[in-house]
Amino acid sequence: MTRHLTRRQLLERAALGGAALTLPGFLAACGGDETTAAGTTATGGGEQTLASRLRFANWQLYIDVDEKTKKRPTLDQFTKETGVSVDYFEEINSNDEYFGKIQGPLSRGQSIDRDIIVLTDNSRYPGLMVEEGWVEQLDKDAIPNIANLVDALQSPPFDPDRTYSLPWQSGMTGIAYNAKLSPTPITSVEQLLEDPKLKGKMTLLSEMADTLGVVMKANGDDPAVVTDETFTRAIDRVKAAVDSGQVRQFTGNDYSGPLSKGDLVAALSWSGDVVQLQADNANLKWGIPKDGGMIWTDNMLIPTGGDVFTASTYMNFVYDPKVAAQIAAYVNYVTPVNGAKEELAKTDPDTAANPLIFPDDETLSRVSGFDSKALNNQDYIEQWQTLLGA
Amino acid sequence: MKRVRGRVLDVYAILAIGYMLLPIAVVFLFSFNDPAGRFNYVWQSFTFDNWVNWDAVPGLRDALETSLVIAVLASLTATALGTLIALALVRHQFRGRAPINFLIFLPMAAPEIVLGASLLTLFLNQTLLDLGFWTIFIAHVMFCISFVVVTVRARLVDFDRHLEEAAADLGATGLETFRLVTLPLLWPAILAGGLLAFAISVDDFVITYFNSGSEITFPVFVWGQAARGVPPQVNVIGSAIFLIAVGIMLVSVIVQTRRRKESSA
Amino acid sequence: MTFFHRHRWLAPWGLLTPGMTWLVIFFVVPLGFLAYQSLQSGIFPSYEFTWEFSNYREALSDNREQLVRSFWYAGIATVLALAFSYPLAYWIAFRAGKWKNVFLVLVVAPFFVTYLIRTIAWQTILSDDGTVVGVLRTVGLLADDGRLLATSTAVVAGITYNYLPFAILPIYVSLEQIDRRLVEAAEDLYASPRRAFLRVTLPLSLPGVFAATVLTFIPSAGDFINAELLGGPNQAMIGNVIQSKFLALIDYPSAAALSFVLMAIIVVMIAIYARIVGSERLG
Repeated sequence: MTRHLTRRQLLERAALGGAALTLPGFLAACGGDETTAAGTTATGGGEQTLASRLRFANWQLYIDVDEKTKKRPTLDQFTKETGVSVDYFEEINSNDEYFGKIQGPLSRGQSIDRDIIVLTDNSRYPGLMVEEGWVEQLDKDAIPNIANLVDALQSPPFDPDRTYSLPWQSGMTGIAYNAKLSPTPITSVEQLLEDPKLKGKMTLLSEMADTLGVVMKANGDDPAVVTDETFTRAIDRVKAAVDSGQVRQFTGNDYSGPLSKGDLVAALSWSGDVVQLQADNANLKWGIPKDGGMIWTDNMLIPTGGDVFTASTYMNFVYDPKVAAQIAAYVNYVTPVNGAKEELAKTDPDTAANPLIFPDDETLSRVSGFDSKALNNQDYIEQWQTLLGA
Repeated sequence: MKRVRGRVLDVYAILAIGYMLLPIAVVFLFSFNDPAGRFNYVWQSFTFDNWVNWDAVPGLRDALETSLVIAVLASLTATALGTLIALALVRHQFRGRAPINFLIFLPMAAPEIVLGASLLTLFLNQTLLDLGFWTIFIAHVMFCISFVVVTVRARLVDFDRHLEEAAADLGATGLETFRLVTLPLLWPAILAGGLLAFAISVDDFVITYFNSGSEITFPVFVWGQAARGVPPQVNVIGSAIFLIAVGIMLVSVIVQTRRRKESSA
Repeated sequence: MTFFHRHRWLAPWGLLTPGMTWLVIFFVVPLGFLAYQSLQSGIFPSYEFTWEFSNYREALSDNREQLVRSFWYAGIATVLALAFSYPLAYWIAFRAGKWKNVFLVLVVAPFFVTYLIRTIAWQTILSDDGTVVGVLRTVGLLADDGRLLATSTAVVAGITYNYLPFAILPIYVSLEQIDRRLVEAAEDLYASPRRAFLRVTLPLSLPGVFAATVLTFIPSAGDFINAELLGGPNQAMIGNVIQSKFLALIDYPSAAALSFVLMAIIVVMIAIYARIVGSERLG
């Protein structure tokens, strides 16, 4: 059973961002709440219908949850406003594993029964999905709130015109260190890789874009434009640190345990995690490396077979600063929506003031993304994987 | 001398069991932790809250139910199929034994990720079944059979056939002999195989992940949580499964002992 | 039943069919597809079938280090597991009396608790500031700044622990059915308890030991999680390589070829082992 909403009604219910009233939509709406014939998801003017369910696959703990009622307030709000119920699947726990799982059906042209999935752009997979044509184009007409997207994320290398994707949350890669175990602050990649006091007590990230990105910056190179030379320089430097025993391990976010317990003095790490770890160990400090850090973004994509209009409608919903603020308050990563900070400051000034969750422009200017072509360079990936041991 | 040896063995057994339970003790301990943030690595303070609100984490309960149901079904099926195969292999001479042996070993040797991915390819190329509960079930039975076969076989090899012959001599039919003599004597091995299959099934991540579609089992749920912090409720569930399993066995032994006392009184 | 008596040759096939059918459809067929893929070449997602046997050659030559390391770790883990499990299985079989099943469940039930939280618990136990490391440092087994985590020791210990039930259960199963009277008879004939054990109990338990070896060694060789969580770059095993080829490199032909290489080596090793132990006894 499909519930129908005319586009005008929908846009009226959308918050900020300027609801554009289209003449056909206006005329159609004049008749009141009507049921149109089974609509298609054609883009452009005219009637569009929402599906009855939105199937949204995301990472764990990446959306607001009311711990008492176990419900997800913003999703319920979306259902209330649009009549679309949300099937929320917390089934993504790693980009490469999830891709390995969905590439089977997608490469056969089958749908994966999802309208929105979320992949990180410091991995090769969003770019690969776009390249292979396994994603649908967004219906930008249904996303007027796209105007709220922060400037820094308007034009990512893998999707320069934001045709296929919209950020969900971002995170920054920087250096976390234990101030009690290291009274000297650890603020540079150089210290991390070469300070003998840290030997065997620090970890790097197994994600190539994160680790080589910061090392390139420390080398004075730009990770947004990778050449064979800059790559070799960076990887050799890391290799030296591995061979000397400086690097204890390459981790995903499993640096968390050892870091909070004091097994590690320093770790290349992600901003959102450290916000949480600081609650357990107040000695943990996090900062962007002296020569610059990396920023990555988890992007919403519509896989083949997903309902474009419904997915786009939802995207518009979360780009409302009020909704974005609610999500940001819980998730503690960096929101891509302008105005969310101000909204949150009204109800939760402490969180709104946290520079790890709402970095200022100065901080944002010191982080950047990794060259997306290099992410898909098989030779680079092989070299990196060999370094990791495999 | 025997007494000393016996004592030494007792001490060893206690230490060994202690070693095996050590991580569980830690898991159990941390299930009572009240973490300050989202990670449960550092002890903060004691609380019963996690046990009371064990399903406060959305999705936990469903994932758990799914895992338990699949594990029970899969281990029962795999145990039945595996026991039959073991019987055939040990008791009968026939051509084709060597390839069958080979085929039994191979699933254990195959890396999980390729087993999972190639099975996924099979499921994608058919239209009878959607990826979900039943594909997970099929996968679990598939990789459990071998373990059951190897376990049951270890007992069958030295099984005293005379007992079965005696039963036949006393007029029991083949089926009766099987039911009243073979099966009860084989029972510890079948139970052991079933326990192993259950443990493997309830803990499987890689193969399940590839073949589960939208269905979320407990390990898939937990591994997903790892990226943002495993909640203490997961410790609660782990500890609870452990305690319940041991508890069930304890109760059944007590009941049996009581029954024996009554029947001999 | 008389049908099977008359057509005795059918009996094994009747028993085998259900299980083997399952394995053929859901294991052999996928494996066939994997074999096909192992002879492909090209870049994801457009592979082509080109009888690319070089995939196998490369699999062997490029990953020699990890292959050797994996079998070495698996071997040590298996020996440790056997040494640990045999006395424990013996105790449960011979000394636990009516509480046998309780103890059996007690040693297997830890493995109902998810792999991940067990390993996190080990990270806590083996932590640099933990009791274990502290004791080892005091005793001198570890340097003063030595650690356990991110070393081969931790990885092997992790692997051993993880497959202990696979060792305990088969050995227990074999020991439990040994007729006590045989042992008593040996002792009545003036054998010392040690001799009785070596001449009677141990040989009768060999099928269980064989099963335990196989059930422990095989999955240990292909393990990757322990190396990932408890090890560093120098502890990577062949399982990690296969994961990497499959997920990060998206090089399915290579991953497939390497998997077959791994399986082949394992099968050969087990076959040799079975021959040594005397396979007729083992069914």
